[in-house]
Amino acid sequence: MTIEAEVGKRATYKDRYKEEDDGLRFQDLEFVGNFIDLPPLKDGILGDKVQKERAQSKVLERVTKDDVLKDQFTIPELNDLNNYLAWNVWDVLVMRATEGVSGMIPRQEYEILAFMHEFYRWPEFLRMTTDEVGAQGILDIGAQSRREIGTKVNGVHDWCIGAVGFGMGRCGLLALDAIKPNDYVEESNEILKFMQRVLYGKRQDGFILNSQDRYRARIHDTDFLQTIIDQIEPLEEGSPRHEQFTRFNAAAELLAFLDHFDCRLGLGDTGPYELPNGNIVIIRDLFVNEEEYHWSDVCGDAGLPHAYTLAIEIDPNAMGLAEIRVNDISTTFTRPKNYIPAIVGGAVFAREKWDTPMANIQTIKIQDLPAQLAKVQQATIKLYTKMSKMSKRELIWAGHDVYYQGMILPHLRRAGTWDKAVQDLQLKEVDQRIANYYYDIQKRGFAQETVPQKIFSGAGYLPFGEKADIRASKASWLF
Amino acid sequence: MTTVLAEGFNAFETTKSPEGTVKYLGSPQDVIQLLSSGKLAEHILLVRGGTTTFLSPALSMGAIGIITMSGAPESHLGILSREFQTPCVMTAYLTSSDSRYVVGKSGDAHFEEMAANLEGKHVRLDVTDSEVGRVVLMD
Repeated sequence: MTIEAEVGKRATYKDRYKEEDDGLRFQDLEFVGNFIDLPPLKDGILGDKVQKERAQSKVLERVTKDDVLKDQFTIPELNDLNNYLAWNVWDVLVMRATEGVSGMIPRQEYEILAFMHEFYRWPEFLRMTTDEVGAQGILDIGAQSRREIGTKVNGVHDWCIGAVGFGMGRCGLLALDAIKPNDYVEESNEILKFMQRVLYGKRQDGFILNSQDRYRARIHDTDFLQTIIDQIEPLEEGSPRHEQFTRFNAAAELLAFLDHFDCRLGLGDTGPYELPNGNIVIIRDLFVNEEEYHWSDVCGDAGLPHAYTLAIEIDPNAMGLAEIRVNDISTTFTRPKNYIPAIVGGAVFAREKWDTPMANIQTIKIQDLPAQLAKVQQATIKLYTKMSKMSKRELIWAGHDVYYQGMILPHLRRAGTWDKAVQDLQLKEVDQRIANYYYDIQKRGFAQETVPQKIFSGAGYLPFGEKADIRASKASWLF
Repeated sequence: MTTVLAEGFNAFETTKSPEGTVKYLGSPQDVIQLLSSGKLAEHILLVRGGTTTFLSPALSMGAIGIITMSGAPESHLGILSREFQTPCVMTAYLTSSDSRYVVGKSGDAHFEEMAANLEGKHVRLDVTDSEVGRVVLMD
């Protein structure tokens, strides 16, 4: 069932997709970054437009497969990507970053350690993977997600490769004075090329980021998407079934956050996909049991699958939808903010393991959700109790693993190179430099204040200089 | 005449207007203890951070309303409160005080003043406005 709304009567969100439209502002803040002598950037569609106008290369426009298959970016392309990612990070995270201390998980500490570790070590793993499967193989890894649900080769993980591993990692190391702006150019290229290839293969429209496409992530092939949409059951606001669906969505999303140490890697939205009746669908993956993490045993014990996937049908007219953003960390934000009462249909699926074939995906009827909810709640309480007993050091390194390992786990797992990276390249070890930084980052507010300020103001993403060489790594340790 | 004790970002707009006694939760043990008491539904929860993990079991088991001293609707707790439809006023500040939360700079004094002035008060959350959430004194 869907509400037979008068399409277009109240919703104005489609205006955002017109060429001349600059989108709404979701926040009052402005971004400066490396554009010190130019007017500051705004959030949203307008920010993306201005970035493209200021670019020194064509890398922010639609690119071709030949562009993507090239071995390296040029220095101007690297600088354009650096600037764009700095803005994009600010765009999606600056308000989130006001959230302060967790009270449970030392997130700023684990995040900054992981950022820097990623910048140092990921190039080796990503190069090895590219060597194993080829550049086209990386595109294919991205493309596979067009016909899968419950996969972590998704927007947020792909984005993290460049925005976090390169952008924030380099930013943190520059702030720590551990590297100079012209160091590690070759490694930067390795990371960003990997990101570009995966995302290009997935989107197949020439863009790599949702923000380049007015915050749309419509990645699924039409025939595959239809098999999902066909399972949607009608829901009426205020009814017990509506409550069952929305409560399950919330509880599973919460556990997905918790299983990933309060980070966004447990979630993944794509869409909005428009239906013939004018409604829109968001496809949401909630990863409630990541077997790679030892603490996730409580989720396994509760009988939870690797992932639940929800198809959420929203009536845009019922909420007067003015803008919808599926941002690059795979989270949906709308104006007005509250889309829950406008949900008019839903479907739930379970993927038992990360590699369970699509033919074996289970559909869970809305009426059966209370039993699933009980399992989710049981795992949540047990996981919370387990985490509350962990020491600060345990929490920091576990959170670090969720980032440093977890952000590239899906890609290497799909490429078949994860075990090789762990065994031959010792991926799960901690680099000695990072082990030493453990103490440095907890002094003088480095993790709590210095790095967040550099990251979210954009001031820390220093450009590669005129003398930068795309062949350069780290040549010297001097002053 | 209504007395607005505190204001902050509104995580999402809703006509829900929960009432309860403000309870400050300072540690995971406080959260577990509240759940064990069976009195979760009697309280508006006051917490420092805008993250989800700290309040996970309380959210999952049906918290009726939340006040945070940091964070925004885009923070993880803001997102989750929207999904749970649990009204949430974020980065709240006392209307009777000039002290405001500043990321990475606010010291314990700011948070302690908030807790001291709100703990134990019987309040209602007014979250109908799209941007501003209000903590209204009921007694």
